[in-house]
Amino acid sequence: MLNLTHWEIGPIFRALMRNKTGAILIAIQIAVTMTIIVNAIFIISERQKLMARDSGVDEANSFYLSSSSFGEDFNTEVTAAEDLAMIRQTPGVIDAMQINAIPMSGGGWSMSLQTKAGDDIDGTGAAVYMVDEHFLKTLDVDVIAGEPFTLTDIRLRKGSSTDWPDKTIITKSMAETLYPDEPWHSVVGKTVYINNNEPMIITGIIDQLQAPWIGWDGVERVMLSPERLEFTSYRYFIRTEVGKRDELMPQIEEMLANSNKKRLIRDVRSMQETRERSYRQHSAMITILGTVMIVLTVVTGLGIVGLASFSVNRRKKQIGTRRALGASQQAILRYFMLENFIISSAGVVLGAVLTVGLNIWLVKAFELNTLDWYLVPAGMVSLWIVGQLAVFGPAKRAAAIPPALATRTV
Amino acid sequence: MLKMHSIKKVFRTDLVETHALNDFNLEVKEGEFVAVTGPSGSGKTTFLNIAGLLETFNQGQYILDNTDVSNLNDNQRSRIRNEKIGFIFQSFNLIPDLNLFDNVDVPLRYRGFNAADRKQRIEQSLERVGLQNRMQHLPSQLSGGQQQRVAIARALAGEPRFLLADEPTGNLDTKMAQSVLELLQEINQQGTTIVMVTHDGSLAAQAKRNVYVRDGKVSELHDVSDNISNVANVVNA
Repeated sequence: MLNLTHWEIGPIFRALMRNKTGAILIAIQIAVTMTIIVNAIFIISERQKLMARDSGVDEANSFYLSSSSFGEDFNTEVTAAEDLAMIRQTPGVIDAMQINAIPMSGGGWSMSLQTKAGDDIDGTGAAVYMVDEHFLKTLDVDVIAGEPFTLTDIRLRKGSSTDWPDKTIITKSMAETLYPDEPWHSVVGKTVYINNNEPMIITGIIDQLQAPWIGWDGVERVMLSPERLEFTSYRYFIRTEVGKRDELMPQIEEMLANSNKKRLIRDVRSMQETRERSYRQHSAMITILGTVMIVLTVVTGLGIVGLASFSVNRRKKQIGTRRALGASQQAILRYFMLENFIISSAGVVLGAVLTVGLNIWLVKAFELNTLDWYLVPAGMVSLWIVGQLAVFGPAKRAAAIPPALATRTV
Repeated sequence: MLKMHSIKKVFRTDLVETHALNDFNLEVKEGEFVAVTGPSGSGKTTFLNIAGLLETFNQGQYILDNTDVSNLNDNQRSRIRNEKIGFIFQSFNLIPDLNLFDNVDVPLRYRGFNAADRKQRIEQSLERVGLQNRMQHLPSQLSGGQQQRVAIARALAGEPRFLLADEPTGNLDTKMAQSVLELLQEINQQGTTIVMVTHDGSLAAQAKRNVYVRDGKVSELHDVSDNISNVANVVNA
């Protein structure tokens, strides 16, 4: 059974109260470190959750490129049809299509859909992807209710067009937002309105596809419009077999560039690169916060080592006396570990208050989410462990002080 | 109570080898009050450190209270120090951040006494040295003589069989020194064996027996009370 007599909690606490400057400074350092570390971990985990979201497409095996024509007699419709036929016939390509925007890329189209016609009715924003009947295999999405587009659904959209097709496929998230009180699969067949009054029938629901804007809170709200683009500049989205992407990217770029000299092929980019570019700020933030956490932890650890070492050196005679009076080496080790535990406890309790306080301020100032409750006790335990690890070396040195020091002049 | 036989203690550095004790033999019987004297560097403090199990020795045998303590490990030595030996140091060695109560409490906690037992022992021992009303004072709030009385109370609280005093009056004026010595004599009369290291001849003369140490050996034993040589107490190798 644990004999608490050996745990000199009372005397250690009273001694600390009589000599508190160093202990208070370390406790404050622990509190500040905990406050920053816990909030940093929370911010990092939030960013990582954002970065881990699935875009909905086969990122590892997809890429895209843009074609910009410059000749007056350039026929986009014919060229695009020829290009896509060539691309689809290329060994290693699963499928390809024209598209107006790319998930996660930062640039795209958005429209508002409403469940009732009318100029004064609030709509629900959605990212618009203009796709043809190849979208299923190209984007690697699943139609989980309704039907996919067929060739006859696809129309040609000119740059000057302002009207919309009469069909649309939307994501499950969009269906749930448009009709929050109905099961998402029952949305198929309903009419929604674009441009306030233009009806579109929802013919299908896809499982998931992200909008081009990763910071948008409606990033999962997407509508597909069955259209090919007759613009001077447009994109091809290409999905390859596993492991063929890097090989096919330059090959298809060269093939398209050679097939028609009246246009430029550029911005050849994989979806993985797009993801990396889009989340670069998040990655940088994680690196910075991670570095700050490591530096703070090391500095706090060194502070504890410094205080404990100073304390041991200052109390050599006292430690020798304790040894002479019967303290074992374990008792001396325990004394310093316990002393640090008491200081750390004050620090982590103050740190818990400051952590929650800082989070409340961050929530108000930057609209962050509320801290996960378990991070506070996890932070406390972590700082306790850091303290115990940091003090272990000086405590071991203290335990090695011989009892004969009690009779010597130090 | 204490029996040292052919004790040898050598301190070594890279350049120097110092024979602090060499063929050191001494026996102290239960209830004795022995003063150990000798010039500086004679080995008095080394003897005290070894007698108090504060230091190990290179050769010989040491029997303390019928136990051979020559080859004990550190934990066993700590336990014997705590249970059987009381220490009184020249500079008192009180812990400055603890009040008198907590200072006297230090060895009792290592002993594992429960809180009620410790409280009773602390109060009794501080009362015995006349400081029962100063329990919440810090050592810095006391005179040197009072601090040494606290150190004596701390040494007595665990009721040791054997008290080791290292120049217990070395930092005190004559009046306080005499007061402390009288307290030690009183303790001795109540049955506790005392070995006191001192360089003060007049103080040593008030002990029951004097042991003179020179060059790491006991060179003379003198029973003060009987005023006769007591060479028989030297254990010959």
